[in-house]
Amino acid sequence: MVQLRPRASRAPASAEAMVDEGQPASEEEEAEHGLLLGQPSSGAAAEPLEEDEEGDDEFDDEAPEELTFASAQAEAREEERRVRETVRRDKTLLKEKRKRREELFIEQKKRKLLPDTILEKLTTASQTNIKKSPGKAKEVNLQKKNEDCEKGNDSKKVKVQKVQSVSQNKSYLAVRLKDQDLRDSRQQAAQAFIHNSLYGPGTNRTTVNKFLSLANKRLPVKRAAVQFLNNAWGIQKKQNAKRFKRRWMVRKMKTKK
Amino acid sequence: MGEFKVHRVRFFNYVPSGIRCVAYNNQSNRLAVSRTDGTVEIYNLSANYFQEKFFPGHESRATEALCWAEGQRLFSAGLNGEIMEYDLQALNIKYAMDAFGGPIWSMAASPSGSQLLVGCEDGSVKLFQITPDKIQFERNFDRQKSRILSLSWHSSGTHIAAGSIDYISVFDVKSGSAVHKMIVDRQYMGASKRKCIVWGVAFLSDGTVISVDSAGKVQFWDSATGTLVKSHLIANADVQSIAVADQEDSFVVGTAEGTVFHFQLVPVTSNSNEKQWVRTKPFQHHTHDVRTVAHSPTALISGGTDTHLVIRPLMEKVEVKNYDAALRKITFPHRCLISCSKKRQLLLFQFAHHLELWRLGSTVATGKNGDTLPLSKNADHLLHLKTKGPENIICSCISPCGSWIAYSTVSRFFLYRLNYEHDNISLKRVSKMPAFLRCALQILFSEDSTKLFVASNQGALHIVQLSGGSFKHLHAFQPQSGTVEAMCLLAVSPDGHWLAASGTSAGVHVYDVKQLKLHCTVPAYNFPVTAMAIAPNTNNLVIAHSDQQVFEYSIPDKQYTDWSRTVQKQGFHHLWLQRDTPITHISFHPKRPMHILLHDAYMFCIIDKSLPLPNDKTLLYNPFPPTNESDVVRRRTAHAFKISKIYKPLLFMDLLDERTLVAVERPLDDIIAQLPPPIKKKKFGT
Repeated sequence: MVQLRPRASRAPASAEAMVDEGQPASEEEEAEHGLLLGQPSSGAAAEPLEEDEEGDDEFDDEAPEELTFASAQAEAREEERRVRETVRRDKTLLKEKRKRREELFIEQKKRKLLPDTILEKLTTASQTNIKKSPGKAKEVNLQKKNEDCEKGNDSKKVKVQKVQSVSQNKSYLAVRLKDQDLRDSRQQAAQAFIHNSLYGPGTNRTTVNKFLSLANKRLPVKRAAVQFLNNAWGIQKKQNAKRFKRRWMVRKMKTKK
Repeated sequence: MGEFKVHRVRFFNYVPSGIRCVAYNNQSNRLAVSRTDGTVEIYNLSANYFQEKFFPGHESRATEALCWAEGQRLFSAGLNGEIMEYDLQALNIKYAMDAFGGPIWSMAASPSGSQLLVGCEDGSVKLFQITPDKIQFERNFDRQKSRILSLSWHSSGTHIAAGSIDYISVFDVKSGSAVHKMIVDRQYMGASKRKCIVWGVAFLSDGTVISVDSAGKVQFWDSATGTLVKSHLIANADVQSIAVADQEDSFVVGTAEGTVFHFQLVPVTSNSNEKQWVRTKPFQHHTHDVRTVAHSPTALISGGTDTHLVIRPLMEKVEVKNYDAALRKITFPHRCLISCSKKRQLLLFQFAHHLELWRLGSTVATGKNGDTLPLSKNADHLLHLKTKGPENIICSCISPCGSWIAYSTVSRFFLYRLNYEHDNISLKRVSKMPAFLRCALQILFSEDSTKLFVASNQGALHIVQLSGGSFKHLHAFQPQSGTVEAMCLLAVSPDGHWLAASGTSAGVHVYDVKQLKLHCTVPAYNFPVTAMAIAPNTNNLVIAHSDQQVFEYSIPDKQYTDWSRTVQKQGFHHLWLQRDTPITHISFHPKRPMHILLHDAYMFCIIDKSLPLPNDKTLLYNPFPPTNESDVVRRRTAHAFKISKIYKPLLFMDLLDERTLVAVERPLDDIIAQLPPPIKKKKFGT
């Protein structure tokens, strides 16, 4: 005997059903209306539909299988529940992961920052400075802006913004590292250019010793080079020898006694 | 006179830094010289070429250009990208303005003196307006491809020539655009892989641009058409500098081989109007690169890597042909870099970034006149004190008892206390030195080492009391009038009562230390003071000026002494007045009040006030009188100035005690041995 389920109302289903997208809703409707042919096959209702399609082909040959509503309904409901569970689990896992990553980032950032005390001082100092001379700061900003506009876009702007020194002992000055690096590297490049063009490869340079000894070579009685001895040779060896000699002398004196 | 044992010291490893830029100011006849370590020195050419002012250097400052602008203002620009103006009264840097173009390679002031042009690393030429208290950026010219290494203004101020790598551009000042771009050959009559660097350009008023480059060529270009007119090959190495005279009839170039060439505008035939540029005179006074030259109305000035400053007066331009027209070569410093502690026989050497403390050796042998005695104990290098920070040391001093060392840089003042236990030495810094002591121009300790006198560049004179390991600021003498005048030299009397201080223009002020007030002022003399000292018992102040005049002033009597008046009436011997180098140190004999010991770089002299003065006919440099001469002859040839030239070049000479002298020499070869490599010269047969 087929037990008919009480007909569900046409009103929108419960929130739960709505949340789980349209799938279970359509599946319920299908279950309601029985086996409906030509419905778009959704995952949950694939089983009975497949049977239908197969059934379509075999319609001519065999009679369709008898499936009780209850069993099909139960199966469908199980399926739907399982899907919901997996989706929820996935979401919670993702949330956990995201939370852990956020915490890690916060930890790292905290390690990079200066200790809290100095940050506090910085903020209070900047506030007081701003309060003290708002007019001056504005003027300076205006001037800077004017300069920037005038200097045009092609020249690289290397601005060194100096932060007011903060601590009581005033032993440091905060400078933007980016600007300092740029300036130093350019100065080094310039000095390298000068060095290369004056002393680099292709220039005809000689040592001072050879230069000054040229005259000695052409004298009627040839003399030695100006820096004939290399006093910087073997300094370490000579020092070791001196130390050893001193120690040996002391030992000798002791044994003599 | 007596016999002395002389400590000949040659372990002061003094190497001056090379000269990078020179700028001549016509109105005041002064020369500004900038060195590779950032020091800028001002030489007064009319005061016997004496270095009257200097600005200490800085490690990060690599000056590449120096120029005078209108109103005696001095500007410099360097590889750190900043334009600096120097305050010549207060002896400090007024401000440093970043040009925002990267390292600055060249700078030129306009003929009117109101505008400043800089050439930067990124190829831009920037124009600055010189306002009364600062400079202000006006605009950029057209940006070029490579760095602008040299600049020159046309005398009308409408065009400029800029030399770069492989080309020269001519700009129109009003529009800022490049009118011509002249390509420079990489090699005279040939091709080369090495790029041709145009080290110097000069723009003449008839539109000719003269360029000197790294291929050894001097080329004349026509700026109206942008074409090459004439090319001279004068050297196998770079020609690195060019300077044109004001009348534009001669110019001078300096090469990397050390040769300086003089070019003159000479008529083609003796009575034609057409003139041409001819290379007339070569001068070889340098061994290394001549990186900068200047042309004054009467002289050629050159300086380079070999650290000499050479001033060669041109004979045809000099009116009076006397000793003033001789070649001047300035090698040794005009200030004293060494201080001595007599009690402990210590010497303190001042370098640019560190101080060295040495103890003199000792000997037990004796000998006769002229012997070299063997050392029983070698000289000891006790201390090597490095300064913190990139700034150079301005001045330093050690106390006579040897337990205090003080030195000053631009931003700080350092005072150290030394303790001696047996042979060891320990150093302790006195912290929290007051800020007003920084940038001191001269430091001096009193004879009993209880007081420290500091002359700051603001014109004030500070007296600090030292006791144990601490100090207390006693008093500060402020400058007299409203003007700020830097105090350059100090002298204190051995009894600690009087302090003499000399400024740059006013006379020498003498202060009473016990009562802390000004005692008197020695009348001003138009030549700067080079050395000062106060005699032990008589309290006579002996002052040496840059024109080799020596005055003796009695402080208790507030007038010149009789001996000084006699000397002034008779005048000094002409050979004495013709000496090149200034007297840098004066000292006295404790037991002989009639003797004054002074020295300059090439001689040391003991003036005996009891003997008669030499007139122009007597021999000034007496050879050592042979003992077999009769007494009468010896008495006739003896005069007050006993000069010895045995020890030279002298950097410092002092009397340690009654029978010992110390002479610190610095042979020129030792300096040259530590210079950078020069250009190779090929000589036949080597």
